[in-house]
Amino acid sequence: MIKFLIKGLLRDKSRSRLPIIVVSLGVMLTVFMHAYITGFMGDTFEMNAKFSTGHVKVMTRAYAENLSQLPIDLALTESGELLTNLRINYPEMEWTQRIQFGGLIDAPDSTGETRSQGPAIGLGIDLLSGNGNESERLNLSESLVQGRLPAKAGEAMLSDDFAKKLNVIPGDDVTLIGSTMNGSMSMYNFIVSGTVRFGVEIMDRGSIIADIEDIRIALDMEDASGEILGFEKSGFYENEKAETMSAIFNSNTSEGDDEYSPMMKSLSQQGNMGQYVQMSELWSAYISLIFIFAMSLVLWNAGLLGGLRRYGEVGIRLAIGEEKGHIYRSMILESFFIGLAGSVLGTTIGLFFAWLVQTYGIDISGMMKGASMMMPSTIRARITTPDFYIGFIPGVLSTVFGTMLSGIGIYRRQTATLFKELEA
Amino acid sequence: MKLALKLAYRNLMGAGLRTWLNVIVLSFSFVIIIWLKGVMTGWDHQAKTDMTNWEIGGGQYWQSNYDPYDPFTITDSHAPIPDELKKQEETGEIVPMLLLQGTIFPEGRMMPVTIRGVSPTQSFLHLPASKLDTGDGTISAIIGAQMAKHSHLKEGDYVTLRWRDANGTFDATDVLISSVFSTNVPSVDLGQIYIPLSTLQEFALLPDEATIITLKNAEESATDYPGWVYKSKKDLTRQVDEMIKTKSAGQTVIYAILLLLAMLAIFDTQVLSIFRRQKEIGTYVALGYTKQQVVGLFTVEGSMHALLAALLSAAYGMPFLAWQAKVGWTMPIDASEFGMAIAQTLYPVYSFGLVVSTVLIITITTAIVSYLPSRKIAKMNPTDALRGKLQ
Amino acid sequence: MKTSLITFLTFLFVHLSAQDAASILDKIDANMSSKNRVFESSMTILGKRGSRTIASKSYSEGTNRSFTEYLSPASEKGTKMLKLDKQLWIYSPSTDRTIQISGHMLRQSVMGSDLSYEDMMDDRKLTEVYDAVVTGEEMLGDRKSIVLTLTAKVSDAAYHTQKMWVDAVRFVPLKQELFAKSGKLLKQMEMKDVIQVQGRWFPTTIIYKDMLKQGDGTEFKMTKISFDQKIPEHIFSKASLKQ
Repeated sequence: MIKFLIKGLLRDKSRSRLPIIVVSLGVMLTVFMHAYITGFMGDTFEMNAKFSTGHVKVMTRAYAENLSQLPIDLALTESGELLTNLRINYPEMEWTQRIQFGGLIDAPDSTGETRSQGPAIGLGIDLLSGNGNESERLNLSESLVQGRLPAKAGEAMLSDDFAKKLNVIPGDDVTLIGSTMNGSMSMYNFIVSGTVRFGVEIMDRGSIIADIEDIRIALDMEDASGEILGFEKSGFYENEKAETMSAIFNSNTSEGDDEYSPMMKSLSQQGNMGQYVQMSELWSAYISLIFIFAMSLVLWNAGLLGGLRRYGEVGIRLAIGEEKGHIYRSMILESFFIGLAGSVLGTTIGLFFAWLVQTYGIDISGMMKGASMMMPSTIRARITTPDFYIGFIPGVLSTVFGTMLSGIGIYRRQTATLFKELEA
Repeated sequence: MKLALKLAYRNLMGAGLRTWLNVIVLSFSFVIIIWLKGVMTGWDHQAKTDMTNWEIGGGQYWQSNYDPYDPFTITDSHAPIPDELKKQEETGEIVPMLLLQGTIFPEGRMMPVTIRGVSPTQSFLHLPASKLDTGDGTISAIIGAQMAKHSHLKEGDYVTLRWRDANGTFDATDVLISSVFSTNVPSVDLGQIYIPLSTLQEFALLPDEATIITLKNAEESATDYPGWVYKSKKDLTRQVDEMIKTKSAGQTVIYAILLLLAMLAIFDTQVLSIFRRQKEIGTYVALGYTKQQVVGLFTVEGSMHALLAALLSAAYGMPFLAWQAKVGWTMPIDASEFGMAIAQTLYPVYSFGLVVSTVLIITITTAIVSYLPSRKIAKMNPTDALRGKLQ
Repeated sequence: MKTSLITFLTFLFVHLSAQDAASILDKIDANMSSKNRVFESSMTILGKRGSRTIASKSYSEGTNRSFTEYLSPASEKGTKMLKLDKQLWIYSPSTDRTIQISGHMLRQSVMGSDLSYEDMMDDRKLTEVYDAVVTGEEMLGDRKSIVLTLTAKVSDAAYHTQKMWVDAVRFVPLKQELFAKSGKLLKQMEMKDVIQVQGRWFPTTIIYKDMLKQGDGTEFKMTKISFDQKIPEHIFSKASLKQ
């Protein structure tokens, strides 16, 4: 029976082609939509994650308490070992060390004396070890205004406005005056390799970005780092996972009475991010629900239309003595296959498009001309597990339901009337 | 045309459930697009209103050395309030604020802060400045909720505040946190502590001086006061505009998908109509309709979905949108990182132009999608069509 | 009549004690100030995460000129600091840069200690900055000490009032409390290990503590000190920073 129906569908293209196209288009839209909404809603977290919170962040208890003050004196010591352990224990995450610090940048005149000076917020990141992708994460190449990224030790980037204020250009020397982990004053020379603009005033006013190893030397922080950030390799934050991971890490590693023992916080546990994560999940669920509902109506309608198309055929089948119930069941079964085929096809195409938008993003920089916010200039979709099955709800159920409704007509109508439809 | 409309209406009603499914989906597009755009507009309004209420008023004069991103400038950012503005202070038209670098020591931890002197009688900023007026000689201070969280201070706590006066002499005193306010504007909260203006002026040895002068109403044209720089409301809210711009751009894709979805339904319906109603088409032609007129008839029929959807949207959408405007929508976003004013709950704002443009866009799109399959009619052989022969 | 007598007596007493106090300050200045001095010192900063010690050698002349070279630890070795009047330059050998520390930076702490650059630089004679009155006598450890209350007479003193315990015999300060204008105690210094050098009594250990902040303070110990030496003029020039 099933084999017969499938053969029928395959041979009579008019029975299968348009319905499958419609179903798969609808399913494709649903899948793509869901992935897009997830990406769109998560967008702000990912920005926060990349620039500050990570998906999870490891720091000392004391550092966590005083986060807003960039307290490098409370940094993690022996962070290399900690990093290695994190990489071994959580291989599914990318781990990277960072040092955030405050200091002064001083540009010399020809005799090496102070020509201009300004306060800076500094960021030491893994740029040169070759096994991090911090520059992509922070979108440094795209933010570059002049020059290039640091390519060797002793090079640093300044924010563009800051460089202008200090009157330095790539190739110039500047000195970082900071305080070491112990509080001593330290000085360290950098060659300006380039300038960047992020579009966030607070970062554009005065920041310096350099390789973490340079910063360690500069601030006397051998084998120390302010924070270790963990990022999902997929690039997307998963709240439950991050929270569980933090809880386990803290119960194993963190000692409550030692304020310098490391502790892990998930993105949602930092600042106000938690409630935003919840809200975001809630709202993407709502919006997806509305879409799935709307899509169900569309495919229900398609099911109805599909049934109507075949009234003539039904007439003939009734005329040659087929039982009404049998016709009804076979049509439902057929619509099930159509729904299934359409859903599989639609999900595949939808996932493909979602993947494209996840990988390449939709470039909205054209719409953002003149904007200077540190906002993503591309919007990305995000494929999550539900994307693999969510399309089947409208795809199969609604198609079958539509056919069921339109098929009721088979019982209502007289064989003679149906036969007349055949003539039409 | 009237006849076409009548025919279209009858045909649609005759199709019953099928029509209504399409109409419901289309009406979703109406309501959701208007709602989402309303949320964006509401966000824009809200952020700007919050900034206006809490921080920037109708614009500000900054002492020319003042740079909010460089705390070192604060020490040198003070000047006597210009005489013309002083008069306005008495009438409550301006709020002068003096800023001073200081340190608080909650539980023996050092925390750098910006001390802001504000008059307890100021009338237009939402800061609960009246709480600064203790009347019993205690110096009271107010702080924002975020600041309270970072410093572990709460209402009723005393904290040691240290600063240096204009001559560099250290001074310190214990202040009473008389109120913790909650605001959506991070820049008036994080790292800020408010004490009475006169007290701060006295402490700092800077009588009658200020750093920022906030105007109640926007200036038509900024008066130039030497040593002061005018910052219009537009300058001060630039970042909000840009944030909204990005989010709106991201939403466009949602509108597009929503429309595509509705159009898929319309398209499918139109294709079936033309497939099943060939006899009818043939009859029209036989009755003297030109093919183009028949195409028009079907296009009108398809487009009428949009009209019905608009009516349906009005029926359930208006109460929904009105309810949303009343209770608001809670925004899943943290913009405090960006130092911008973003409320937790946004109240959508719908403009007439927004509704009209949405209706127009959807109707035109529906018309185009209805027209595309109808073009097939023009290629039909009328006699075959009349006979109902499949083509 | 009675009142005016009391007023007169009070005035007399205050006047006398002020005069006393002034002469005590003079004696302190005689002990503590000199035409110039050369000393080696070690500063121990008692931090939460362990303490560290920084050794340096300083030359100072009058109150306007001083030059300090850090000797250890390795990370600070070779760092030099020159103060001329109100200006301060720091030279770091690793960067080969001379950086002028100005304005706001002067208020930062020196090497993470409880002292700011400004604290270090403001070494005007006590009599220039403060009016003093004797307010009591107290035993401090086994030393009899006179308690002075110092009130700033110039507007730009960092601390509005000070309370100073002065050894009644040797005229060296043993303890100082620094107050804000409001009267709040901000910092405390304790002087110990008073020795006699070239006829002067001199405390060689000073413990600084910021009273508002948690922490154990900073210990400043002079390991070698000599007064009125011949200091070559070039020491107090920017050129000496780079040598």
